[in-house]
This record gives sequence, C-alpha cells and structure tokens, in this order.
Amino acid sequence: MRALVAAGIGLVAALALVFAITAMGVPPGETSKKPLHTTVPEHP
Amino acid sequence: MRRRASLVLLAFAVFFAALSPLIRWYAFPRLAKIPPSQYQTMVLEAKNATLLDYATMRSKKVPKVSIVQTLKGNVEASEKIERNTDRDVVVWDTLSYVADHKGKLVSAIPERYIFDAHTQEPVHARGESVDGDPVRREGIEFKWPFLTEKRDYQYYDFQARTSAPIHYKGTRTVHGLETYYFEQTIPWTKVKVPKRLPLGATPETVEQVGLERWYTTKRMFWVEPVTGAPVDGQEIHKEQMRWKDQPGRKPLTAFAGHVKMRPDFQEATVDLVSSQRRLVLALTAYLPWGFLVLGGLLLALSLTLEARSRGRGRGTAGEGAAVGDDGPAGDGTGPGGGTGTEGTPATGPPGGGRHRQPV
Repeated sequence: MRALVAAGIGLVAALALVFAITAMGVPPGETSKKPLHTTVPEHP
Repeated sequence: MRRRASLVLLAFAVFFAALSPLIRWYAFPRLAKIPPSQYQTMVLEAKNATLLDYATMRSKKVPKVSIVQTLKGNVEASEKIERNTDRDVVVWDTLSYVADHKGKLVSAIPERYIFDAHTQEPVHARGESVDGDPVRREGIEFKWPFLTEKRDYQYYDFQARTSAPIHYKGTRTVHGLETYYFEQTIPWTKVKVPKRLPLGATPETVEQVGLERWYTTKRMFWVEPVTGAPVDGQEIHKEQMRWKDQPGRKPLTAFAGHVKMRPDFQEATVDLVSSQRRLVLALTAYLPWGFLVLGGLLLALSLTLEARSRGRGRGTAGEGAAVGDDGPAGDGTGPGGGTGTEGTPATGPPGGGRHRQPV
C-alpha cells in the first residue's frame, strides 16, 4: 500500500510539473523594431 | 530506514519514468513552436546573372544580383488572430528585395504569411497576402515542420501564387549537419508583375508596353530535419517578359541566374539551427531517454534496497526462530518480534518474525 502511495506521489508530481510548464508556455516577446531590409546587409 | 529510502526512490523512479513520455508526447508538441517575435534576414546571391535594363529594355549580364529576404514576426497581429482561432499563430511580414550589383532596386515583393506556430500549417486570416494581393496559401513556405519527414510536401510558390509538391530526394550533409534534400520545379508559368520595379515601372506600364511576365525555377532546399529549418537553399531561376499575342517575337530575359545563400549568412544560419536543434532534441530525445533510464535505475535501486531489507528482516527472524527453538514459541506479534527466548530482543520491526508484505 505504501509503495502504491509512493508511486502515486511520483506520478502526480510528474503530471503537475509538465502541466505547469506547458501552461506557462513561452513569452511571445515584442515585434522587432528593425526594418525590412531595402539594402544589402554587410554582415548577418 | 531502508524501507523509507526504497519508497522515496520508488516515488522518484515513477516521477522520472512518467516524465519521459509526458515530455515527448505532451510537452514537446505544446512547447516547440516558432516564436511570434522572430526577426531574421537572409541574403542570397546570383553571380554572373542576366537582368533586364528597364531603361533600354534590353537584357544584360551583371556581376551579381542580391536577394535580401527579411522575416519579421508581427506579435500584435498574431495575438489578434489567436483570439479568433484559438491556435498559436505566427504572422510574418516579409520582404524579398532584389538589388543589382550596385545595390539598386530590381524588384521588391512584400508578403504576409500566417501560420500555425507548432505545425507550420498555413492559417487563413485577414491580411494573408503576396505583394498586397490577398492569397490563400496551401502547404508550407520558408520553413518545414519540426521533425521533418522523408516525404514530399506541398510548398507555396509566392511568384506563381500556387502550391506544388516539393519532392524529398534523399539525405545530404551540409556543414556537418545531416539534412533532407528537397527539390521543386516550377515549369514556365505566367505570373504577376511586381508592384515595385525600377524607374517607377508598374504592372500597368508593363502591360501597356504589351509585355507579360513568365517564370520558371528549380528550387532546392537542404532542410535540417529536427528543426525543419533550411540550412541551404538554391534556385535556378529564369524570368522572361514575353510579348503578348506575339508568339514569334523574342522574349526579353528579365532575370536569369543561379541563386545561392551568401556564405556568411549560411554559416550564421547553420549556427542558429545547430543551437535550436539541441533544444528540440532535448525535448524529443535527451530528456525522455535520460529520464527513462534514470527512472529504471532508481526503480532497480529501490527494489534492491527493499530486497536487502527483506532479507535482513528474514535473517533476523530466522535467528530469532532458531534461538526460540529452545524456548516457548511466541506468536510473533510481540513488540520487536520477540519470538526468541526472553531477553533476546529481535531487531525486526513490530510483528517481526513475519515476512514483510511485499511493496
């Protein structure tokens, strides 16, 4: 029984971690202020 | 103590073993996406190309033609579309600016490309356009999906404004990276005249002169399959201005050249793709496999501890029983499992002398 509880704790912790990370997602950032090039850039 | 340790190890074993498929099949499809704020520039060159001189209306050889391609993620536009579509959307405002060897404008074609941030499938929303004209894309453009497959894809041709298959032709190595090589040939097709041309020429003036634009290309991409990003791209590209209703009249070559990525931009792309590749591999291979192995090791350790603990308990019980042969038989339920002779404390847990229940 205690083994089942331990396994359950491990499973719930893994689910909680993954759900939390995916729910947070990635911040979208901001639109770049740089222009669309109309000259040939010298460097990347 | 050992029993507690084995239970803790078991919890961690399940934790890591469960993380393995969760990361690969749940987190990866949700976390791997093109950031909506991406900004990227690519310069391609065609050396010893042929260009149409709009002043003389004659084709001439030039040492170099450059194509500057800028992709700029429009975060505000993507958020607006996301509110209506319930998808992670990326909006790229792009410009393909073609310049001659002196840096002067040859043509400039803006696009708005709207696509799913995870799958790279086009999303049809207001604003999707090529050179200011509304379009409806099918298939991919610029980038392949994450975990690109060895198969043909539909690729959108912004000149012809239609999609056609781009064929998988095998694997190639580019700068040490394994890539999938794709090839698409667009046969001679009548296409729209760009709205921005040299000397103020417009589609209307070109039409008034009695010309129409035709184009053919062989498009080649070397795609890093984990990220789906092309690390090399080339085109054998030809454009003609053909005389309308005069099939016998010789067409003017508007452009002809073999377009290749400029080496410094290609190296920068390879560096970028290599770092992104590691991130994607972390979610698809390194972490899932690492956690699975770690989970297995922890489970083995947990079982070993448990088995030793049991063996020790059994051994202790055995000793007690051996000694107890001389004394009255206990019921095995006494504190400390005192089944032996009086004054011989057993080291087992309460109820010792019995086997532990299996975990």
